[in-house]
Amino acid sequence: MTQHSLRKLLCITIAGLLYSCSPQRADTDVIRVRWSHDPETLDPFQFSNQASLDAVNLLHLGLLEVDLTRLKYAPVLAESLPTTHLIGDSLTELRYTLRAAAAWDNGCPVLASDVAFTLKLMFCPDLPNEAARARFGFIEDITTTATAPRRFTLVCRGQSLEYLVASGDFPILSEAAIDPRGQLRRYSLRALQRRPVTAPADTVLLDVARRYRAASPDQLPGLLPGCGPYELVAWERDRYLTLRRKTNWWPDAQLQPVPAVLQALPKQLEYVIIPDAATATLALRRGDLDVYPQMPAREYARLQTSPSTSNPLRLYSSLSYSVVMAGFNTRQPVLADALTRQALSHCFDAAGLLEATQMGAGTRTVGILSPANRINYNDSLALIPFDLKRAAALLRQAGWQRGPEADAGWVRAVANRPRQQLALRVRYRAEETLFATVALQFQAAAAKIGVPVTLLPTESGTFSSSVHTGDFDVYVRMLNGNPFMFNFTPIFHSEAIGAGNTTGFDTPASDHLIEAITTAETEQRRAHLLRRFQALMQREMPVVPLFFLPNRVAASSSLTGLQVSSLKPGYAVKTLVRAPQPSPAP
Amino acid sequence: MALLTPAFRRWSQWLAVLWLGVVVLVAALAPVLPLPYPPNSPDLANIATPPLEAVGHWLGTDPQGRDVLSILVFGARTAVLLTLPAAVLAAVLGALAGGAAGFWGNATRLAVPYWLLGGGVGWWALQLPVPLLGLVVAAVGLGMALLFGVRKQRFPSWPIPLNAVVVGAATTLDTVPRLVLVVAMAAGTGVSIPGLLVLLTLTSWPLPARLVRAQMLRVRTLPFVEAAQAAGISPQRVWMRHALPHALQPLRTSLPLSVAGLLGLESTLSFLGIGLAPDVASWGRLMATIRNEPSAWWAFVFPALCLIISIISLNSLSRHRAAQEKLLP
Repeated sequence: MTQHSLRKLLCITIAGLLYSCSPQRADTDVIRVRWSHDPETLDPFQFSNQASLDAVNLLHLGLLEVDLTRLKYAPVLAESLPTTHLIGDSLTELRYTLRAAAAWDNGCPVLASDVAFTLKLMFCPDLPNEAARARFGFIEDITTTATAPRRFTLVCRGQSLEYLVASGDFPILSEAAIDPRGQLRRYSLRALQRRPVTAPADTVLLDVARRYRAASPDQLPGLLPGCGPYELVAWERDRYLTLRRKTNWWPDAQLQPVPAVLQALPKQLEYVIIPDAATATLALRRGDLDVYPQMPAREYARLQTSPSTSNPLRLYSSLSYSVVMAGFNTRQPVLADALTRQALSHCFDAAGLLEATQMGAGTRTVGILSPANRINYNDSLALIPFDLKRAAALLRQAGWQRGPEADAGWVRAVANRPRQQLALRVRYRAEETLFATVALQFQAAAAKIGVPVTLLPTESGTFSSSVHTGDFDVYVRMLNGNPFMFNFTPIFHSEAIGAGNTTGFDTPASDHLIEAITTAETEQRRAHLLRRFQALMQREMPVVPLFFLPNRVAASSSLTGLQVSSLKPGYAVKTLVRAPQPSPAP
Repeated sequence: MALLTPAFRRWSQWLAVLWLGVVVLVAALAPVLPLPYPPNSPDLANIATPPLEAVGHWLGTDPQGRDVLSILVFGARTAVLLTLPAAVLAAVLGALAGGAAGFWGNATRLAVPYWLLGGGVGWWALQLPVPLLGLVVAAVGLGMALLFGVRKQRFPSWPIPLNAVVVGAATTLDTVPRLVLVVAMAAGTGVSIPGLLVLLTLTSWPLPARLVRAQMLRVRTLPFVEAAQAAGISPQRVWMRHALPHALQPLRTSLPLSVAGLLGLESTLSFLGIGLAPDVASWGRLMATIRNEPSAWWAFVFPALCLIISIISLNSLSRHRAAQEKLLP
């Protein structure tokens, strides 16, 4: 090889290296969003973590959907909000009409039979639909007519303000994709709901369940097509999830003008999994990310004080309905009584944690309802103080006794049972510094009164399964709420134990109150019941609500149309557009 | 190189010994030292505070409000209590395995009943498929041993490939990078302090085993060993009382290096968040907090300095011992 060709090869190599090291030009069609962890599942019936909900809402559509900017439900597949008819004093009929334009990807219209099929699937045995059962159990029946295939009536148990919107907030699935022969049509929704768990196996139902599971909606939603604006292109666990805008999505051609909730502007959405907050901030600064939602306080403050030069950013902040809380496993004998739980609640320094982790932003609360919700928030209740003396006194009141030595723990004698020792395991998501700080503070405070606490930082997926199987004593997590629906059945009702009721808490009084809230007929009545519910929860203390987080979003300034919302995920992803880049001067 | 003069070497040895002595002393006295804050108690009013800015936090606080000085002190305790026993245990295990492999090689034989007995008990203890089968085999072995014992017959025997097993196991462990091996094992089993101790020991014995085996190959041919064997002393006694003490010489040099390696490994694991429990103070875990608060340099620099100085000191000590050994007749 001559010297000339060697030099040439060297130049090409250097040029190649320089090109590969230079930052890549952002693809204008792709919007990149940070997720801290993968969706647990893409199954539309499992309302697991926020990432799952975000993805499912882009793949599927419901009858109604929240307009994030106006904080109101708006019709999506439905033509309008349903009309309500009260039947006697115990039933409500909600009459819906589907949009004539609403269609599946193959052009077939979305019909009332699809809605009926979806509701029946929620109560089909042998499917992971416990959360959906608890949430939509109030819909007792659905009536359709052959002459008007887009019209249907939902018959709901009781009468409630919330039915108007709650009855339409679930993704509609295609009957043709799972049950092309219409096998589920021979069962009424009521019959499926009333089917006892111990009933003998029904081959038809098992067959439908098998076909649903075979479609792997949790992993490959391509086999279970939704009528949402996006389709899944790729999902590499721990790396990214990519969704592509459908070119033949039905509103594009059929609706003019397109309603705000049916707008889907980004051509491709790439959710990048970056567990570490500082790494995500770095990626945002470098321009590898466009949107960083739910940003931690210190990262947000750092961006405020030292703006990015390579990727100018816009920072947004608003209220949120996400509350940080600790939950007690009431199924554990040591935590079965309210006095012990009350005592331990005094070991959380909510004010200090709010200051330390949120730099003072955020709001302390007496319950899981936001103080911003002035009508329903029970402001007559006192915030739980950080008071270790009171904690120790309450433990004694609960029957616990402490040995004379300084490091002696608490023990309690229970009739006909082994002596109980108060020692706790606290589980939280490992990658969340906020939860780690809460757990550490609780551990240090509990140690001061002689309660040993073991910390169990747990990987995201394992955390969910551990919490659902009751493998914890105390957990620290976030609960997302909203200002218009107060159905606590999926998280605190005895029906939901083993599903969403992770604390295992149930009392006849709380069940009764939860049912009364969901069926309250007037806002005043509901507010009254909600206030009573908050008082009851503070007395029983299955969870310790610490504070409501602020919603912080950082986004590249090259994006337009970013609308921040106090509801999760904290911004409207479907309205994002990348502003055209100025072409370089000639 | 003026820096490498004998005087400097002497001073560096003394400094190394002094630093390591301080670390060990601090580790031993950590619970009774008058520290302003315990290591796991977050000071929520002082999150990520720089050194000397908050009362009592002389070296600042980490992003969770924990006192950096306290974590350094208790981190030293964790380092000493974890790495020193692990290094000693690995040395003992390696010395026994390597010494036996070097002394007996593949030549020694074991009677078949004992093979059956050992194999059966091992099968049962490891709960391999059908554990009862292990007990049956062990019972057969025991029966054969008793039968042959009563009849005073000579047992048939099979050779024990001791050298091949030890060298093979050591080579196998050496082929997998230690960090990868420990991470994989930790991920599979979860880690507690005793668990991590076992993990570090089990992955650290090959080096001492190789060193002792090599030395034993030389020692077993020395006249005093041959004399002891000729005098009719049992092979086990010759091995334990006469050969092994002379074969342990290389461990004097390798032990500080082993501790340094383990110190680095423990810190790496804690930095990656797969080592110790979050409430166990560790230099590596403290360094990892820089990811949450990149401006908190003090949470990285102080533990990194402790780690670097400790590892340099241990290396220096090892070099000093190697030099001493060269001077031995």
